[in-house]
Amino acid sequence: MFEQIVFWSLAALTLGSALCVVLMRNTVHSSLFLGLSLAGVAGLYGSLGADFLFAAQIMVYVSGIAVLIMFAVMLLGRASDLHLRQVNDRWMAALLVCGVSAVGLCKVAASFRLAFATTPTKPGTHALGRLFLGEYLLPFELVSLVLLAALLGAVFFTHSEKA
Amino acid sequence: MTLAHYLAVGSGLFLIGVFGALTRRNIIGILMSVELMFNAANINLAAFDRFLHPGGVAGQSLALFVIAVAAAEVVVGLALLLAIYRNADTVYAEDFNLLKG
Amino acid sequence: MLEHAYLIPLIPFAASLIMFFGAKEDPHSPAPWIGVGAMLISLGLSVSVLLAFLGGAATYERNWHWFSFATTMGGKHFVHDMPIGVLIDGGAALVSVVVCFVSSLVQIYSIAYMHDDKRYKRYFCFVSFFTAAMLGLVLSSNLLVTFACWELMGLTSYLLIGFWFEREGPCEAQKKAFMTTKLGDSGLYLALLFLYSLAGSFQISQLGQFFSMGYAPAAVAAVIALGILVGAAGKSAQFPLFIWLPDAMQGPTPGSALIHAATMVAAGIYVVARLYFVFLAAPDVMALAAWVGCITAFMAAAMALVSYDIKGVLAFSTISQLGFMMCALGAGGYTAALFHLTTHAFFKALLFLGAGCVIHAVHTNDMREMGGLWTKLPVTFWTMLAACCAIAGLPLFSGSYSKDMILAYVWEFSKPMFWVMLGTALMTAFYMFRLIFLTFTGKDRDHEKFHHAHEAPGLMTVPLVLLVIPTIVSGLALNGVIFKLAPKPVLHFQTAAAHEVPADAHAAPAPAPAEAHAEAPAAQHHGDEHHQEGHLPPFLHYLLWVLVPASIAFSFFLYRGPKYPVADALKSALAPAFTLLERRWYMDDLFNVLVRVSDRVAALCFWVDANVVDRVFVDGWGLVMRVFAHLSDLFDALFVDRTVDGFGGLTNDVGVGLRSFVKDGQVQEYLMYAAIAFSLAATLILTR
Repeated sequence: MFEQIVFWSLAALTLGSALCVVLMRNTVHSSLFLGLSLAGVAGLYGSLGADFLFAAQIMVYVSGIAVLIMFAVMLLGRASDLHLRQVNDRWMAALLVCGVSAVGLCKVAASFRLAFATTPTKPGTHALGRLFLGEYLLPFELVSLVLLAALLGAVFFTHSEKA
Repeated sequence: MTLAHYLAVGSGLFLIGVFGALTRRNIIGILMSVELMFNAANINLAAFDRFLHPGGVAGQSLALFVIAVAAAEVVVGLALLLAIYRNADTVYAEDFNLLKG
Repeated sequence: MLEHAYLIPLIPFAASLIMFFGAKEDPHSPAPWIGVGAMLISLGLSVSVLLAFLGGAATYERNWHWFSFATTMGGKHFVHDMPIGVLIDGGAALVSVVVCFVSSLVQIYSIAYMHDDKRYKRYFCFVSFFTAAMLGLVLSSNLLVTFACWELMGLTSYLLIGFWFEREGPCEAQKKAFMTTKLGDSGLYLALLFLYSLAGSFQISQLGQFFSMGYAPAAVAAVIALGILVGAAGKSAQFPLFIWLPDAMQGPTPGSALIHAATMVAAGIYVVARLYFVFLAAPDVMALAAWVGCITAFMAAAMALVSYDIKGVLAFSTISQLGFMMCALGAGGYTAALFHLTTHAFFKALLFLGAGCVIHAVHTNDMREMGGLWTKLPVTFWTMLAACCAIAGLPLFSGSYSKDMILAYVWEFSKPMFWVMLGTALMTAFYMFRLIFLTFTGKDRDHEKFHHAHEAPGLMTVPLVLLVIPTIVSGLALNGVIFKLAPKPVLHFQTAAAHEVPADAHAAPAPAPAEAHAEAPAAQHHGDEHHQEGHLPPFLHYLLWVLVPASIAFSFFLYRGPKYPVADALKSALAPAFTLLERRWYMDDLFNVLVRVSDRVAALCFWVDANVVDRVFVDGWGLVMRVFAHLSDLFDALFVDRTVDGFGGLTNDVGVGLRSFVKDGQVQEYLMYAAIAFSLAATLILTR
């Protein structure tokens, strides 16, 4: 019972915020709703028992990426933009596409109707740590390289000629 | 809650993200929609991991990798966006038509 | 000697080749003596062969292998052999002696006659070659070789007639001779084809057996006989193909003596005699041959009556005598024809050579410019007189024996024909003595020519004298043995019927042999039933004895003096008849018309070919093809090109259309397409 309430409210939060992200005229509002949506996703992680993932989501996405996007929005936006329509002319086609895809995706989802969680959750940090520094060591290191590359790339792109 | 619920949430989030990617005029809006799609995939991963692999954390580890790469991607994307904005002085996708013709 | 008989034609042939390639062209070269020598050797061989036959030898045949060919008919394999060789019987031996004798004397004569000619050597090559071909024809056992020699004689005749080809006359004459004889040759060729397809062999002996056994159907035998008759008519100048012989006098006189008097023209008669078994199997064609001969003899004698050209009269007389021979063959007088062939060869050669001497003396052919030459050309006169007596048929001369024998057979065959032939014989006597009287007797008509006339050199007069001997003697000599030498062939399958005929023949001339014929005792020694056939009933014999001198006297009466008023009066009185004869019975005009007609036909055929065949079929087909090509082009342009262009255009349109999707450069649009693809995939794959 409790579980259901938690799930549905988190789901509603996530999806509702996501809708607002894509429908808001005001891009700043959009970015704020993005943060909310990401937080809802974190809650969903928690309800799934992925505690480290929950923490990582909050730390990286909500307080990192969402904030970054907010910075970008405010840097690049103009006051005049805040009243403009942000949805282009294709929204009907896009709706159609999404609707058609929804049919397929929901059918797949429905095929797992009877899959219940049988074992209780357990903290996974320890296991994740062993995995990252054991079997997935190489991808772990590569991801750090990716981040480094991204960092360097960002610096390179934003480097101004005049400076 | 069955797996179907979580998958449904994930699908819904993904489709909202698709809608946003197709319809937002602002490039940052498109970027935000892409983030939504990433998260939807992550939800799926975590759900599958919980319901079909009890005791295992492979799904969660993959989800972590996705988070890391998504972060990198957002960084690079925003940097690119800044660079473009400096040149074109606009953030609307319909104005970027250098591929025209 | 018989086994060496095959050399008889080969020696003159070799001589002609030696002279042609070995000697150079020199009017005074001694090369002709090679030809003369070769001819004398062949003469010696032929005489020995003839003596063998007189001694009672049987028909001799010897063959060598020439070629074979294999055919397959009806699944069976046949091999046809074509041998080449000699087939000699009494008649062949006799004729070969005649040919060799006359040819050698003619060549000796020609050495003097042609001695300043610029193609001296070539003349002798032609004469030797001609004689070799004639001997080949006489002696050959294979009809193909006979035909080849026949054609070769036509060739050499052409070459000799047109010997002086710088002048127009000889050229036209040689062409006419060749064409006319060629027309006849086609008949002979057809006959040969029929013979081979009927009997499967060209060997005369085998064909003789074939016909003798009666294997030849009467109709086919008639066709073959007709073909042979046509060939003989061409070669031996029978009606209607005699037009070439008078014109052939354009050639050198000794050549005419050899070819157109003694030997070549006799080839037709000889071949008919050689293939007599075919005629015996086709009695209708034999009768036709007799009538053809009769008509020829009469027409030619008539033409000779009005001719003033000395060689022309001799030419017509040759045609007439050939007519006699053909008539004899047709009437069943095989032996008589060969007898007359022999005697005719001698006296006609003598007459021609004598005429050559006369022409050599007065340098003209026209008898109206001659006269009184007997004082100036005594040898020529006496020898030609002897020959004229022979041809007229005066008793004791050779011609009378052979001619009487012919008349005897004709009397048995058909009475009307006999009276025509009798008239012809009287005409012969008339015009031949007319020739003598106009040329040699009376006063000269052209003083200039008479003054310069002189007797011919020895080389020319000696052959004349040598020829007089057989002219007088051959009749007497051969009369006894001719039936032994050349008995008439008999077809075995007709023997049953033939046995009755001699019985009838016995009855009619039975009194005749008892009469005052010197040869009668000799005749009774031979029990041959044929022997009785060759004698005239006595009353006809006496009739001839009266009529012939009468016609000679008539001729003397008309032509003895330098002027001949009675003859001219007759001529103006009977002017249309004279015109007919002078125009040679309009035969030349007839042939000219035929030639023109065939020319027109050829032009018509050409017109048809050029305008109908070419236009309708060839050009028409071309037009059809062009139309078809245009249609193809149209089809190509309309359908094929359009299809190709359509594909190209389609591809272009598809490309342009697809490009229209992406031409704006809107990234979200591209993303939309990806999303559409994803959605379709999602629905189609995931909802399976």
